[in-house]
Amino acid sequence: MSPILEASDLDLVYGTEAGPVQALDGLELKLAAGETLAIVGESGSGKSTLGLAIGRLLPPAAQHLGGRLQVAGTEVFAATADAIRGLRRETLGFVFQNPMSSLDPTMRIGRQVARANGGRPSEARIVELLAKAELDEPEQLLRRYPHELSGGMAQRVVIAMAMARAPQLLVADEPTASLDVSIRAKVMATLLALQRDAGAGLILLTHDLHLAARHCQRLAVMYAGRIVEIGPSAAVLSRPGHPYTKGLLAAAAGTEAPGEMLEPIPGLPPVLRKPAPDCSFAPRCPYVERRCRELRPAARPLERKEIACHFAERLLAGSEP
Amino acid sequence: MSQPILALSDVRFSYRARGFGAGKVDAVRGVDLEIAPGETLGLVGESGSGKTSLGKLCLGLLRPSQGEATFLGAPMGSLRSQKGKRSLVLQHPEWALNPRLRCGASVAEPLEILGRGDRSTQSAAVAAMLDAVGLDAGIAERYPGALSGGQRQRVAIARALITEPQLVIFDEAVSALDVSVQAQILNLIKRLQGEQGFAALFISHDLAATRYLCHRIAVMLRGEIVEVAPARLFYDRPNHPYSRQLLAAIR
Amino acid sequence: MSKLWKALSLLWSADRLAGLALGILFVMVLLGIFGPWLPLGDPTKLAAGPRLSPPSWAFPFGTDELGRSFLPRVVEGIRYTFLLASMAVAITAVLGTFLGMLAAHLGRFFDHAVGRFADLLFAFPPLLAGLLVAAVAGPGALSVITVISAATLPLFIRVVRSASLSVAERDFVIAASVAGASTWRIIGRHILPNVLSAAIVQLTYALSIAMIIESALSFLGLGEQPPRASLGTLLRVSSVYLTIAPWLVGFAGLVLSLAIVSVNLLGDGLRDRVDPLKGRPLT
Repeated sequence: MSPILEASDLDLVYGTEAGPVQALDGLELKLAAGETLAIVGESGSGKSTLGLAIGRLLPPAAQHLGGRLQVAGTEVFAATADAIRGLRRETLGFVFQNPMSSLDPTMRIGRQVARANGGRPSEARIVELLAKAELDEPEQLLRRYPHELSGGMAQRVVIAMAMARAPQLLVADEPTASLDVSIRAKVMATLLALQRDAGAGLILLTHDLHLAARHCQRLAVMYAGRIVEIGPSAAVLSRPGHPYTKGLLAAAAGTEAPGEMLEPIPGLPPVLRKPAPDCSFAPRCPYVERRCRELRPAARPLERKEIACHFAERLLAGSEP
Repeated sequence: MSQPILALSDVRFSYRARGFGAGKVDAVRGVDLEIAPGETLGLVGESGSGKTSLGKLCLGLLRPSQGEATFLGAPMGSLRSQKGKRSLVLQHPEWALNPRLRCGASVAEPLEILGRGDRSTQSAAVAAMLDAVGLDAGIAERYPGALSGGQRQRVAIARALITEPQLVIFDEAVSALDVSVQAQILNLIKRLQGEQGFAALFISHDLAATRYLCHRIAVMLRGEIVEVAPARLFYDRPNHPYSRQLLAAIR
Repeated sequence: MSKLWKALSLLWSADRLAGLALGILFVMVLLGIFGPWLPLGDPTKLAAGPRLSPPSWAFPFGTDELGRSFLPRVVEGIRYTFLLASMAVAITAVLGTFLGMLAAHLGRFFDHAVGRFADLLFAFPPLLAGLLVAAVAGPGALSVITVISAATLPLFIRVVRSASLSVAERDFVIAASVAGASTWRIIGRHILPNVLSAAIVQLTYALSIAMIIESALSFLGLGEQPPRASLGTLLRVSSVYLTIAPWLVGFAGLVLSLAIVSVNLLGDGLRDRVDPLKGRPLT
C-alpha cells in the first residue's frame, strides 16, 4: 500500500523584509494510509508550514526551493492549479484551531456544510453529516449562524465539513486548543472516530506532547524545520532519543512530582536563514560535542524510532526503561 | 495571623451583555477569597467562568455590584490612590509593551508615575530589575519589536515588580508562550516571589502550570468558587468533581 | 534623518507608484514654494503676449485672456491650492486627533457628544456649506479653510477614535492605568504615538478631499479672489474660453488631477505599509 503522504528533502523558504527564513529544512516524512501521526513542535518549528504545504495553502511569500511533497500520488508543488484544487476538494480535509474563523460568519451552517459536500446535497445528507460529527439535534442547526454556536459545536461543524467528501488525509492544526478543557477530549474523540471510519490518515499538529501521545499511533518531534525524532508515541515519550524531545518532556508542566522543578531548555529556537549545515539544536543541547557543529545528523533507526542525533544511543542508554 | 493582603467577602459582579435584548450576565456570584502576604493563589477556570472579571475586581479595575473587597485591610480605593501597590502581567506578549517606547522607558514608567527618584536612580532601578528577570541590561535601549515573546514577557514582569508592589496579578501570563519558555517564566516568578515577597494571584485555564507555581488553588466554575485547596491536593485527588475533570484533562 | 531616508527608500522599493507619487508631489511643492524665483515668467504681467495664444516656446502653457503667461499662473495656482488645502487639513488633523482620542478614552457622554457633532458636520454637503459660509463671511481663503476643515473633520475623528479604541484595549495601556497613570499620560504617551500612523494615512486622504473641495469652491467663485488664483479659480476663468483656448483648461485641469491622484497614491502606499492586514491569495 503506497503511503498517503511522502515528503523527501523538502525545502521551503519564506521571503520576509528582514531576509529569507528557512521554514522547512530538508524535511523527510512518510505517512501510511489510515495512520495517525502527531507532529509536535513549538513556534518556529515549521509544523504549521508543513500543514499548509500539504494542501499548497501557503502565502505567496513562501517559496518551494527543493525536495518533493507527494500527497496521494500527486506531486503538490508541481501540480496544476486544477489538480491542486481537486486534491484539496477530494483528498484532503483541514481542521484549524479557531472554528469561528474557519466558518463564514455570514452564511448559515446548513449552506456551508452543503458547499463542503459539493453538488446539491439533500437536507437529509447534511443532517447525516452533522449527526456523524456527534452534534445534537442537527436539524435545528441548519438555519443557525456560526456565532450562535458554542466553540465546541462550531468545531464539530468544521470537522463535519472536513469529512464531508471522505478525504484520504486529514490535517488538524491545534484543533482543540481554543476549546474549553472539559470538551477537548470529546471533540478529539469525535475527530478520531470519523477518521477511523473513513480510513483516512490523520496528521495532528500540536504543541501538547501528552495530547499527541494520547490520540495518535506515531509521534514526530519537529525542530527548526525538520523532524528530529519519530516513532510510536509511547516509545518516544517513555524513552526519548533526541535531546530536544527529552528537554521538552522535562520542561512541560503536568508530569512533574509535587515540589520538583521544571527544567526549561535554555536559549531560543533558531531562525534559519538557509539550510543548516550542522545540527540546529546544537547551541541549546546539553550533550553537544564537536561533531554536532560540523555535520548535520541524518535520521537513524533506533529502537523502533528514527532519531536525527549523532549521539542518540548515549541518550537512550541513559534513559530509564 | 497577619492581615491578608487581599480579602473578598461575598463579592458579586454583573454586567449587561452587548447586543439586542441581551440580559444581565452574573460573572461573579458570591465569592469569598483571601490572599495572605507572600502567597501565590491560583485561580483556575475556563472561559466564561468569571475568572477574568474576578481578577479585575482584585485589582480595583472593576467595582463589585455587591459585597466587599479590601486591600491591606482598607477599601480598594481608586487606581490613582493605590499607585505602585498593585500591578498586573497579562497574556499577550505582542501587546504587553508600548511598541513606541524603549523597553527601559516602559519599565521605568511606574516609578515615574509614582514620582519616585530622579532619572539616574530610576535607570539604576531599571537595570537592577532587568537583571533580576534574567535579561541583559542592554535590553533597556531596545524596542519591544526586537524581542522574542518570552523576553517581552520578562520585561512586562520587570515593569510589574519595579515599584515593589504588595500584590501582583498574573492573568494567563504564560498561556501564549511555548513550553520551554513557559517553564523559564514559571521558574522566574517562583524565584522573584522568594526574593521580593509579593502576594500574587495567578489566573489560568492551565491546571498543570498553576499547581506547579501556586501555594493554594481556587477553582472557579460559572461565577462561583467550587474548591479552594493547597496545590498539593491537585497532584493527587481534589475534592470537587469539576476539579477532578480539570485534572483528568492534563494526565 | 537617516530614519526618514530609510523609510522613503523602503517606500520606493516596495511601491513604485507611491514613490513616483511622492516624487511628483515633492516637485509640485517645490514649485509652489520657489515658483516666484524661477525663470518661468511673470504671472502678473498683462499683455506679455497675444491673448489666448496656444502653447509656444515663449509661453509653454499659452497665454490667458489678459495676455499673461499661463505657466507661472498655474505654478501660482499650485501654491494656493496646496496652501489652502494644507492649512485646512492641519487644523483638521490637530482638532480631529484630539477629539478622536478623547472620545475613545473618556467614552460614554463625551463620546456620544463628539459623535453627534461629527454627524452634524458630515450631514452638510461641503458645497452648500461653502455657499452658506461665503454668504455670511464673504468669499476668500478663510471661508474655504473653514468649510474644508468642517468637511474633513468627521472622517478624521472617526478614524482616530476607532484606532484609539483598539489601542486602548491593549495590554500595555491597561498596565499603565493599573500603575496609576493619569488620563493625559495615557493619551499622550501610549495612545497618540500608536494612532499616529493611522492618522497620517487619513491625513493624506483628507488632503486630496481638501484639494477637491477647494477647487470646487473656487470654481464657484467662492474661494480665492483675483488676482490671486488657485487651480480651481483658474479653471473657472479658463472654462469660459473652453472652445477657443482649450489648453488653458487642459493644463490647469491636468495639473490639478495630477496633484490629487498623487496624494491618493501616496495615501494608498502609506496605508499598505502601515496596515498589517493584507489579503492573502492562495498560491
